Amino acid sequence: MATLWSKVSAVLPLNEEQFPLQFGDKVESSVVEMLKRSRQQLYSDATSASRMLNAQIILDFSWEKLNTGTWRHVDKEWRRVYSYGCLFKAAALCREDPSADQLLQAVRTCDMGLLMGAAIMENILQVMVRILQGEVKSTKEQDESEHPEVKRIKIECPRVFVIKEDSAVPRMKCPSLECFNTNYLLPLKPVILEGIIDHWPALNEHPWSIEYLRSVAGCRTVPVEVGSRYTDEEWSQTLLTVNEFIDRYILNKEEVKGVGYLAQHQLFDQIPELKEDIRPPDYCCLGEGEEDDITVNAWFGPGGTVSPLHQDPQQNFLAQVVGSKYIRLYSPDDTDKLYPHQSQLLHNTSQVEVENPDTERFPEFAKAPYLECVLQPGEVLFIPVQHWHYVRSLELSFSVSFWWS
Amino acid sequence: MRWFGFGFNAFGQIYVHDKLIKGECSDAVNEIKVISPTELPGNADCCWETESQIRASWSRRAYLQLHGDSCVWLAGFGAVLSNESCSSCMKESRGCKDAFITESYLTLAFPDRIESWDLQKEEETPSWSMEIKKESSGPPLNLPLVPGGYIATKAPFYRSLSPHLKAKSLALSAEHAILLSASGAVYTWGLGSHGQLGHGGLTSEEEPRAVEALWGMPMSCVATGSWHSVCISDGGDLYVWGWNETGQLGLPSRGLRKALQLQCSQQAVAVSSKNCNTNSTGTGAPCQDGSTSPKEPQEGEKLDEVFISIQAFPALLDITPSCEIRTVSCGSRHTAAVTTTGDLYTWGWGDYGQLGHQNLISSDEPQRVEFFRERQMCVFDVVCGPWNTFAAVIKEEVA
Repeated sequence: MATLWSKVSAVLPLNEEQFPLQFGDKVESSVVEMLKRSRQQLYSDATSASRMLNAQIILDFSWEKLNTGTWRHVDKEWRRVYSYGCLFKAAALCREDPSADQLLQAVRTCDMGLLMGAAIMENILQVMVRILQGEVKSTKEQDESEHPEVKRIKIECPRVFVIKEDSAVPRMKCPSLECFNTNYLLPLKPVILEGIIDHWPALNEHPWSIEYLRSVAGCRTVPVEVGSRYTDEEWSQTLLTVNEFIDRYILNKEEVKGVGYLAQHQLFDQIPELKEDIRPPDYCCLGEGEEDDITVNAWFGPGGTVSPLHQDPQQNFLAQVVGSKYIRLYSPDDTDKLYPHQSQLLHNTSQVEVENPDTERFPEFAKAPYLECVLQPGEVLFIPVQHWHYVRSLELSFSVSFWWS
Repeated sequence: MRWFGFGFNAFGQIYVHDKLIKGECSDAVNEIKVISPTELPGNADCCWETESQIRASWSRRAYLQLHGDSCVWLAGFGAVLSNESCSSCMKESRGCKDAFITESYLTLAFPDRIESWDLQKEEETPSWSMEIKKESSGPPLNLPLVPGGYIATKAPFYRSLSPHLKAKSLALSAEHAILLSASGAVYTWGLGSHGQLGHGGLTSEEEPRAVEALWGMPMSCVATGSWHSVCISDGGDLYVWGWNETGQLGLPSRGLRKALQLQCSQQAVAVSSKNCNTNSTGTGAPCQDGSTSPKEPQEGEKLDEVFISIQAFPALLDITPSCEIRTVSCGSRHTAAVTTTGDLYTWGWGDYGQLGHQNLISSDEPQRVEFFRERQMCVFDVVCGPWNTFAAVIKEEVA
């Protein structure tokens, strides 16, 4: 049976000479020197401590660059350097018969590179994490300490919503491209599309459930939003493994107060197995962009997660896979009654709490017409570009959004 | 003046270990992270009275000798590997009066000109230079300030400054700047995302803007880290503002406590839980589960302690026991201050030993560097590189 290291080194270049280290001018020669030292240690004898230290130096230096200036302006070269640091660190961790904890650290390290770095060596971090995940799973199977999952999911009965007919989002079952284009896309009108994701493996062969997500992505690190809504002072982001997120915020095992939401994360780029369970809606081809330009985000959380009323600069198909969400929509024509924040950072977000509006501060809000719905599994909501939308999950929920133009 | 260095030494910028001289890759962690203050080589032959300065970048250290035939010695990445005293000094630097070093450039100030040399290329001429007209009434050279403006850390190098600012000294990070005027007023500009400008918000400023919270209190010294700023008042008080994620402001830092817990739990397997409990946000539970994420403090352990991750207005930092600060310097995420009584205090990021407490532990509380006190050495000056610290020690005890 091949050792972990033999599997890992099989995907690395054969030797130092074939290991590329090319960077733009912005990366100073002293940094390249450190990268070369790490590369050399990959193919020669060195202590584990020394390998870890050199990798950490590369990570610390590039981390500082990644946190300098605005994220948009961070030179891609520094993100590549960061990824190399992750590669060297993960390699060092799994070099010498790693413990279970070291294995998890290595997975986390690869994830940090995937989240914050830029692709290197034909996305080698993705290749590595797949190998490491396989190793994590097989060591888990060896553990006999399997406790049946204590189902401590709060029994939530979603409040039975009465959606009035004249404020309900219209519904259509499998409209033709032309019909959708003429009646909804061009006039920018919201609609719920039924039946268009019935074929998704996520709803058929691989029904998404907590157990399934744990098995496919349990040890992977993801960004989680903590706090009731992103306009709150207490709101923050943290990094957790999917297992930790499920334990803490879905199953509430640790009785932590507060809401956690795996929100607006390109999970499907990070975990290709999940990408295979979904398909971009065919209607996206009606736009001008390429299929590669569609941004796909995961939205996974317990009941009670709230996205405050806001607008986005692209068309959106919001596909509901697990659980249900209450959604309210306002037209951009009524923006004057929605009191957007003045600041640059939040000018796309309304100041009003939709389900508990302060009528004194926001008197016009009550006059703004809206459409609303409860989105159920298998349904897809079309949110036209710049259409204001408010979303609250009514129970454990997993949605997938497609931003396209 | 003797100089001691501690912290990051991967390029031999503090001292060169024998392996590196022989061309072998350094394997020893303790040679890359110098945790105990180590005297810089090459000074032994120079007399005590020799006036000198240190400037440090991430991978290098410049030793500027100011006595007599002044010049610069470079150590670290790309320098001649030797521990011998007074080995080759940079010939292009003879006669310079001040130096300023970044990762890419070494800027030298001569009485009649300023030159910037590209450290990545071996060239015969400086990349950039400007002449200085000899004015008897001009302020003393104080890089990165130059007549009429300053030298930035990236192109365009020369930036002008309004003369009405009466710039006396200037500290720069990659993305922000803090200027001390002759009247003791402090101005900041650049990126404000981490509160490092001290105007109370997170917005950036394109032009120098006075730090109003300090108005009326003349300051005597300013310094910047990568995301924080500090200054000293005429009365010896220290003011800090900016990011405190790693405790660099000397204020309680949640980020730091979490990082220490995480370090603790990763190393905890063989260690008993007693050793792991930090005294403020310790979880109380044994750290042996090997979890790789920071734990929340348990119910009932949520202390009254207020954590500060961003301090957007200047805050007075009390370095106990109360003392007057003579000078201060910042690394990327740590701060070092020298008192008028000759003690050195450090706080912030400590992963590379840059705090000098003979360990690798970061701290959000100012702590005295006992090494010097134990040897009855009087610290006179401190200069920080991004990940290391250099302290100047003089002979007699200052009253």
